[in-house]
Order: sequence, then structure tokens, then C-alpha cells
Amino acid sequence: MIHDMIAIIDEYWLLLLIGQYPNGPLGGLANTLILSALSIVIAFPFAILLAFARLSSYRALRWPVTVLVYVTRGVPLLMLVLWSYFLVPLLTGADVPSFLTMLATLVVYQGAFLSEIIRAGIVALGQGQMDAARALGHSWFGAMRYVILPQALYNMIPSMLSTFVATIKDTTLGYVINVPDLTFAASQVNNQLLTQPFQVFLILALTYYVICWSLTALTNVVERRITRRRAGLGPRRRGEIALPLTPKVTEQL
Amino acid sequence: MTAPVSNIGNDQTIRLADVRKSYGDYDVLKGIDATVARGEVVVICGPSGSGKSTLIRTVNRLEEINSGSIFFEGQDVHAPMSGRDLNRLRSRIGFVFQSFNLFPHLSAVDNVAMSPIRVKGVPAAEAREKALKLLDRVGLREKAESYPAQLSGGQQQRVAIARALAMEPPVMLFDEPTSALDPEMVGEVLSVMKSLAAEGMTMMCVTHEMGFARDVADRIWFIDGGQIIETATPEDFFKNPKHPRAQRFLADLRH
Amino acid sequence: MKGFDLAAILGNAEYMAMLAHGIQITFVIAICSWLLAMSLALVLLAIRFSPGRIGNSAVAAYVSYHRNVPTLVQLMLWYFGIYTLLPSGIADWLSAHSAEMVFAIIGLGLCQAAYFSEDLRSGLRSISPGQMEAARALGHGYISAMRYVLIPQGVRNALPALVNHSVSLFKNSSLAIVIGAPELSHAVKEIENLSFRTFEIYLIGTVLYLVFSLIIMAAGAWLTWRADPLNGASR
Repeated sequence: MIHDMIAIIDEYWLLLLIGQYPNGPLGGLANTLILSALSIVIAFPFAILLAFARLSSYRALRWPVTVLVYVTRGVPLLMLVLWSYFLVPLLTGADVPSFLTMLATLVVYQGAFLSEIIRAGIVALGQGQMDAARALGHSWFGAMRYVILPQALYNMIPSMLSTFVATIKDTTLGYVINVPDLTFAASQVNNQLLTQPFQVFLILALTYYVICWSLTALTNVVERRITRRRAGLGPRRRGEIALPLTPKVTEQL
Repeated sequence: MTAPVSNIGNDQTIRLADVRKSYGDYDVLKGIDATVARGEVVVICGPSGSGKSTLIRTVNRLEEINSGSIFFEGQDVHAPMSGRDLNRLRSRIGFVFQSFNLFPHLSAVDNVAMSPIRVKGVPAAEAREKALKLLDRVGLREKAESYPAQLSGGQQQRVAIARALAMEPPVMLFDEPTSALDPEMVGEVLSVMKSLAAEGMTMMCVTHEMGFARDVADRIWFIDGGQIIETATPEDFFKNPKHPRAQRFLADLRH
Repeated sequence: MKGFDLAAILGNAEYMAMLAHGIQITFVIAICSWLLAMSLALVLLAIRFSPGRIGNSAVAAYVSYHRNVPTLVQLMLWYFGIYTLLPSGIADWLSAHSAEMVFAIIGLGLCQAAYFSEDLRSGLRSISPGQMEAARALGHGYISAMRYVLIPQGVRNALPALVNHSVSLFKNSSLAIVIGAPELSHAVKEIENLSFRTFEIYLIGTVLYLVFSLIIMAAGAWLTWRADPLNGASR
């Protein structure tokens, strides 16, 4: 059994790593990681804007974002992937690679989740910080830029990392629209071998496990450091109640 | 039932005219008329829930009011104005909070220097140098690189005072600056406030520290039920309070 | 493209029957895997809280695997992998009894058990140690202290997370499309293929998922509210 698996890895490691590249599009594990990283990098500023909109006192800004957040929380990612696959070519009028379709889906999906994390982080800081900044004459955006966000984002680093892990897991759904990622490569291998599906999919599962486990371990280390730092550096007032770390609202998939 | 308005020439820094505020059915401020003259130190006292904190927060518009007006150096604080103008106005009114509200992600010196740099556009080096001077003035020069959580409550509040002073405001508002402090730290904050008063700073202080009121205040406003029901010099107020509720308040304090 | 016309779907008896069947299968998968997950989670939790290194490490490994491998891959491993390793008698029986659904339930249930047990564990761990001490000081034994003092508080603490993960489980039932279980999203795809009314049928599918998720969230919020002693819960 283990012998079979080693033989499969020995034969197909390059396909699993980079897909058909350079004879075809980049795929495999490399594409999975690129897709996840790009999604988070784009989703992040998007999420900050969404969080601002949700905290806004204008109903016209608050409402659409609230609806978006509830839709992403209530509708399976699979449905959203199908929607993108249908809508993105329709809206752009072009033949869009499935990679970009998946990227768009993940940006919206994780953006909405991240925005909830960011919002919770801002709310957890309390009104005092905003009051103090405004009393000194900072504008709302100035207060956000120099006082609120530096603290909120720092406290949220663990949540961001776990969102990254969640995104890696989410990319597997690209399978239904043939995004050439790691899962896709594994199923190609399976189609070529035909006789050893268990071994192939076990390799696939273990690969994801190693990546996500390492990132989760890193997240835990970072989280402990931040908690310690906050315990040492948080406000120490009489009757102060320790603030909980930003709640993790990441989606599990 | 309005308190007598004292007018010390035209030298009014702050003037409140029939200020009213309510939360739903609950009236917090029921028509406040009062002035603060330049260089004057006013101590606002009264039982808890009397509206003192709300009142002082309306002066730099951290709280909105329902009617009336508040003038700061002749400018109506609650008039419709652009966000920019409001920010500029606020930067000229120093405010010290009960809970300090230092920025925990910045060192003491950066807490003091950040707003002059970002709001007033002071060059960073100059702002830092001035921040160090201000920290020196509140006796915390050696704590410049410490973060708020590494400071005691009294030290944090002194940094907060330095932070407010860094904007060079002509007036300072204090909202119960010593109420969140352990008793042994109250003195260090009060002595900074005293030295400010001695230098001629215009100050409005909400506080329960009657010793400070007696020694430093030019006038005391006694607030109860959302109204100023007595204004007096500390001497008159402590020896000879006129209003029965002020008498009861002082009697309770002595117990 | 044809004009927007919901009636083309909603007025078609065949499509509606397909949708109804899809909803039914989605619920069967979601409910069965929820029950499987919750029972397994309690077992995992009991092992976690009992002494014994091996049991503890085994549970930790179980949780770690199921939380770090994408659910979709877990389903694929079950259906495309483990299914083929089964003795032919069992495999034949399964293939005659909708194996897709069985494996969807097993895969989702085993995966979700890891999340549920962690939710309950952190709910229990967030109770201050003083609670156990107080209960023991009053003469409760370990089990009794757990039963009457710790578990009621722990479940209450864990409720919001359990609700969130129940919604996730419901949404994840759609992953069964990949192994061919005829659940709601599968029905949506089939109706799309037959009717070519992509927009309409996606809209219907999305609204259905959203409504069911919102119902679960609302029920969860109500439960959480009820469980708060300040709101006059039981007793």
C-alpha cells in the first residue's frame, strides 16, 4: 500500500506540483496556493471597505453589505461557484479562464467573511479609542487609519491566517468548474491509473493535511504571541474586563 | 430655574446657552446656561447621574445636543459645519478621559506626537521633540518608549494629559480624570492639573476630588438633575452652600 | 437568451418534482449526518476528558485530520477510495442502497464531529476553574459536578459555535454533488441542463438554500437566547 503510494508520487509528483505546465496552464499544488493567496490579498482591502460600510450610519451603505454577508453565510459556496461560472462570462463578454472565475468567487466569499472579522475587531476595541482620536481632532478616516485599524488588524492576524487556511480548502470547489488545481491534478492521476483510487485520494488528503496543519500550527503560535503581548500591553485599569480575542468567524469547509 | 450667568468681561472662552439634551424620554441636560472665562478653572461636581459627564462631552461635541448652543471662542460648536471644521475645532479643545483611552499600539511618546503630525501636519522630528518636552513636564520623560500597558494608571493619565496638551489647546476639559485610578495615584495626576492651572490654563473639570476643587477652582458648578443649581467660589460653596441638595451632597461627602 | 421567466420552472410539474426530491435528499443527508456528528462528538469529548494518553492523542489526531483536510477531499476519499476497498458483499449492498447518500452522510458526519467536539470542548474550557472547585467544595463528585454545573454552562457557551457549524453542515451537504448524490444542488444542475433556464433555476436554488440556512440561524439564535438564564430559560 505505502509502496503503491510512493510509486504514484514518484511517477506523478510534477503533475501534482505544477499541473501540465509548461505544456499547459499552471496547475497542481502551485496553482492551489497561488489561487488562495491571490484571493486573500484581493479580498482583504475589499473586506475593510465592506466592514466600514457595515459600521456606517448610512442605511444605504449598511443594507446591501448586510445582505451580502447573509447570502454568503447562508448559501453554499458551491452555488456561488455555479453563479460565477454562469455570470462572469456573461458580464465580461469574454471566455474567462476558470481560474479567474474561481478567484472572483473566493474574493466575494472570503471578503464577506473577513469583513465580519474586521468589523468584530473594530467593535471589540470599544468607543473610547474613537472618542479619544476624535477629541484630538482626527477625522473619522484619520482615526481609523492611525488608531483603530493598526490595533484591530494586528489583533486579527490569527483570524486572517485561519481565513487563509479556509481559502485553501475552499479552492477545492474549483473542481466542479475544472480549475486546474491540486484536486484536479489528483483526479487526472486517478483517471490515468484507474486501479488505485484510494491511494491517489489518500495522497491528496495528506498533502492538504500537511499544508493546512502547518499553517494552523503557525496560526496558533502567532495567536499565543499576540495574546501574550496583549496581556502585557493591554490597558490595565481598575475593574477592567479582559477583552476576548477577536472571534474567529471563518467558514469551515 | 437657571443658574446665574457670570460674565467676566468679554473674556469668555466657553459659553453655554440653554443647552438641552435627552435620551428618549430621559432629560439629561435641562437647560444649562454658564460661561467659562479665559484662564478660569471651573470644577463641575454633583451626584452621579446628574449629567456632569454628558455636559462636558457636549463641549467638544463628542455628544450632540437637542437644543441650545455652546460657543467656544465665539464659535458655535454645535452649528452645522464640515467634518474638517469640526476636527479643527476639536483639536483646539483638549480632552482628558476617565479611562485614559491611550492608544495601546503606540509608545508614550508616539501617543503624544502622533496627532500633531497627522492632524496638524507638524514635522515628525519637531513633534517628537515637543512630545518629549511635554512628557518631561508631566514627569514621565524616562517612560517615553514605554507602551501604555507598561505604565501605571496614574502614569497613563499623565501621558493622556500630555497628549492633549500637544495640540496646544487654549482650554482643557477633564472628565473625571482620577476616578479610574487607585487611590495612591490620584495625587500625581492632580498635581499635574494644579500646575496647569497655575500656568493660567482655562480648565473645566468634572471631578469628585473636593480637595482639588477647594485649592484650585475659581468657581464650582454644582449640577443635579441636569441643571446647574449652584455656582459659587470654593470658599462659599464649602462653607456656606445655599441649595439644600448641595448641602446634602457635601454632608454625604464628609461621611 | 430567453427572457426571465420563473414560471417556466415553477409551473413545470416535472421540474418541481425534481426540486422537491432534491430538497428531501438534502434534508436526509443534513439531518442524518448531523445526528451522526453529534453522537460521535460526545464520544470524542468523553475520551478527551477522561485520563489516558492514547485516547487523548487519538482524538486529537482525529480532530486534526478532519479540520485540516478539505471536506470535499474527504468525501472523494470515501466514495472514490474507501468504497472500492470494501469487501464485495458490502459494496454490492451499498450500491443497491444509494451508496452516494450513505457516503455523503458518513463523510460529512465524521468531519463535522470534529468541529462539534471542539466547539463543546472550548465551551467547557471557557468556564472558570472556580466553578469546578465550588461544586467539589459543596460535595459534588466529578461526574455530578460535570452534570449539574459544568456541562449546562459549557453547552450554553458552545451554542453559538454549534449553530454556526450546523449551518455549515447544511451548506456542505451540497458537496455531495461531487460524488453524485441527488441532493438539491444536483437537482438544480439537472434542471438547468433540461430547461436551459440557468438564471431562473440558480435563483430558485439559491433562495431555497438561503431560506433554510436563515431558518437554522434564527432557530439557533432563539435557542441561544433561551439558554441565557437572564431570559428565563428552563428552571
